[in-house]
Amino acid sequence: MIDVCRRALSDFYRHRYLHGVCLFTIALSVFIISAFALFFINAGELMGAWQQGIRITAYLKPDVTKKQAAELATDIEQYAGVASVSYVSGKEGLAWLKEQLGAGSSLLSDLKENPLPDALEIHPAKNMAAMAGADRLAGKIAGFAEVSDVEYAREWMQRFYGIYNLFKVTAFVMAGLVFVAILFIVANTIRLILYSRREEIEITRIIGADEAFIKHPLYLEALMLGSFGGVAGLAMLYGAFFSLMPKLSPEGLLPFFQVRFLPLELVLAILISSMFVGWLGCYFSIRRFLRV
Amino acid sequence: MNAIDALDNQIIRFHGVTKHFGETYALRDLTFEVRKNDFLFITGPSGAGKSTLIKLLYMGERMSDGYAIIDGMNLARIGRRQIPQLRRKIGVIFQDFKLIANRTVFQNVALVMEVAGFKSRSVIRQRVEDLLELVGLPHQADAYPPTLSGGEKQRAAVARAMVGKPRIILADEPTASLDPDASERVLQLLRAAHARGATVLITTHDTRLLSRFDARVIYLESGRRVDGPAAAENVND
Ligand SMILES: Nc1ncnc2c1ncn2[C@@H]1O[C@H](COP(=O)(O)OP(=O)(O)OP(=O)(O)O)[C@@H](O)[C@H]1O
Ligand SMILES: [Mg+2]
Repeated sequence: MIDVCRRALSDFYRHRYLHGVCLFTIALSVFIISAFALFFINAGELMGAWQQGIRITAYLKPDVTKKQAAELATDIEQYAGVASVSYVSGKEGLAWLKEQLGAGSSLLSDLKENPLPDALEIHPAKNMAAMAGADRLAGKIAGFAEVSDVEYAREWMQRFYGIYNLFKVTAFVMAGLVFVAILFIVANTIRLILYSRREEIEITRIIGADEAFIKHPLYLEALMLGSFGGVAGLAMLYGAFFSLMPKLSPEGLLPFFQVRFLPLELVLAILISSMFVGWLGCYFSIRRFLRV
Repeated sequence: MNAIDALDNQIIRFHGVTKHFGETYALRDLTFEVRKNDFLFITGPSGAGKSTLIKLLYMGERMSDGYAIIDGMNLARIGRRQIPQLRRKIGVIFQDFKLIANRTVFQNVALVMEVAGFKSRSVIRQRVEDLLELVGLPHQADAYPPTLSGGEKQRAAVARAMVGKPRIILADEPTASLDPDASERVLQLLRAAHARGATVLITTHDTRLLSRFDARVIYLESGRRVDGPAAAENVND
């Protein structure tokens, strides 16, 4: 094993130019694909953050008791397309409003009495059907005697779900296409390395090397290319992210949203995929070139 | 008893071996045997099939017909996985040297030992240095083959063929591009290997070389074995 490592390293050095090109290709590929992932994950989270805000608020008449409200809540929860129902008293509503306003909350402190009625917040299930049915659901809820008023952003909600679904499909299709393209490019670069070395490999075989002696260092080199390239690509993304992010921060757009770097699991997954792609490129090139 | 003795003593046995590349017959119905520790020449004009014969011996090509046994291995039946085993028994000096261009002379020679499974760097270093000393190339250990002269490449190839202490040494035109002094030197190296017990098989089209040795000669012409020097002589190159 030590022996294989040593030979892989000296091959690396001997063919440093081609290996450098290959490393750069992989690094760039990883950079592109992880930049994609970064964008889609943050955009997805941003949408998720918006989604939190989607709800139907049913304001209750002042004479409705807590007990009646709770019964109503359990009834509504049974409806199709409803994920959850929560009771928000006028007091809680006011506290929440104050918190949201932050510094501006002094505006509210002058109020003699709480203007907010008690309410039920109905969160629809997170799917298209629930969204489409939101209209009907809101109508039904408005029909209850206890409910004085129903409020929800109807058109926005429907449009949002349309966009969200389109976005999801696009993300998967794009990721798939980019991945295939990268697989192809990396496999071909590795193939180039093996192609340039086929004479050397042939001679090694003629002086008595078995398949393992020839293949093991090649696979190790491919894995090294994959992992170093992956690390380099992610490092590039990390550098770009932290030098650009302060300038692009969408703080003005959305105060409660924080743009984040890739989660650790995804970073590891990208590294492992990049090693796997290296291995795969090696596998196909060996099958292509090293058969006698 | 005698027949068995003879069989025991045979290290190479070709019987009715034919090799053709499409329409071109490189070897036809070739039969011969070589005994252990023989020193043997194979001669014939250019295109006679000498290099092809060497190729069949190290299984660079498979024969088209016939059978051959080398050190107990039947070449017609040998599987892919056994080929490396066969090749490690044989040291080959190729007509075109086949040195790896981007490895130094030292690394080229050392590779044979690595392939054979030697792990200790110091053992490998010692043995390779001894060999380079023997062929008179110690000062070129760190040179790359493309920078060497023809004779130096030849000697590097000899060192590589001998470093693994093979039972059989095949030399394809080892003196072809050398001046008389250098040729003499290479032949002495091959004789030294022979003296240490190796079976040595040399191809050449240089008939003067043959006359200086009292060694067995096999004559080839257009891929066939022919009887005497008469046939080979009128084709001096
Ligand atoms: N791979 C090949 N494909 C087709 N024909 C071949 C191949 N190798 C050899 N031949 C043919 O087989 C014949 C014998 O070739 P070979 O190289 O064995 O001759 P040789 O005796 O070594 O000649 P030289 O003295 O010039 O080295 C030639 O006619 C050659 O063209
Ligand atoms: Mg030849």
